[in-house]
Amino acid sequence: MSALRSQTRSRDFRGSIEAAKDAEAWVVEECASLGLAARVEFAIGLCLEELFVNAVMHGRAGKATISIWTESERAHVEFVDDGDPFDPCCAPVKRIQGPTDDFDIGGYGAGLLRKFVRSMSYRREGQINRVVLEFDEDMTADPITLSAT
Amino acid sequence: MQMDVAEADGITLVKLDGRFDIAGAQTVDLRFSALSGSCAALVVDLTKVPFLASMGVRTLMLSAKTILRRGHRMAVCGPDENVEKVLRSTGFDEIVDIYPDFPSAAAAWARAKA
Repeated sequence: MSALRSQTRSRDFRGSIEAAKDAEAWVVEECASLGLAARVEFAIGLCLEELFVNAVMHGRAGKATISIWTESERAHVEFVDDGDPFDPCCAPVKRIQGPTDDFDIGGYGAGLLRKFVRSMSYRREGQINRVVLEFDEDMTADPITLSAT
Repeated sequence: MQMDVAEADGITLVKLDGRFDIAGAQTVDLRFSALSGSCAALVVDLTKVPFLASMGVRTLMLSAKTILRRGHRMAVCGPDENVEKVLRSTGFDEIVDIYPDFPSAAAAWARAKA
């Protein structure tokens, strides 16, 4: 990855699970065309699935826009949706604690996001949620940065 | 997502091949549900799964919940570094053991039975 900012790749999607599947396929293609490492592509795909599914299933989003670019040796992803307000920076992190058959099937997304991004920021702008994620190849170098405005 | 099912030494072995994303999860959900309600010991081989995200985790957790509540066992084997990180981040490894390959899982269960 170059220190210069690449061209931004962006696409609009409907707010549906079917569209989320299209988004996953599109993101794989864009990551490949940007020459991102497999580890970074994995992290981006994971985080976008979480944000997209959450926006559609819980936030009642009607549309979403994904933008991807690289800059300063890092990959950047912006996810914008028109769903209910949801700040992933503040969402509680859940993890199964100890052997049990009494565990929740969902709700682990916020924890996954924080494990796979370098930094994450959130803003509510009028009727839209805007989340910007930053990724790099070494996910263990520094603690992640979370910010909400 | 390709899903192959085999029986070996009383263990149901599910081999998955492909991305365990939304489309992948939708492809295997019904078969996982049916298997989880009927098998006594299930090992899911993730060796050929290069990607796992929320919906795939959900499929595995639903399966684990059904099997564990029936008093039976489940394990996964062969995840790569990223897939294993997803599983451990959710705490899935607290309820289902993770092995490097199927023989390791079968041997561990045989030792536990002895």
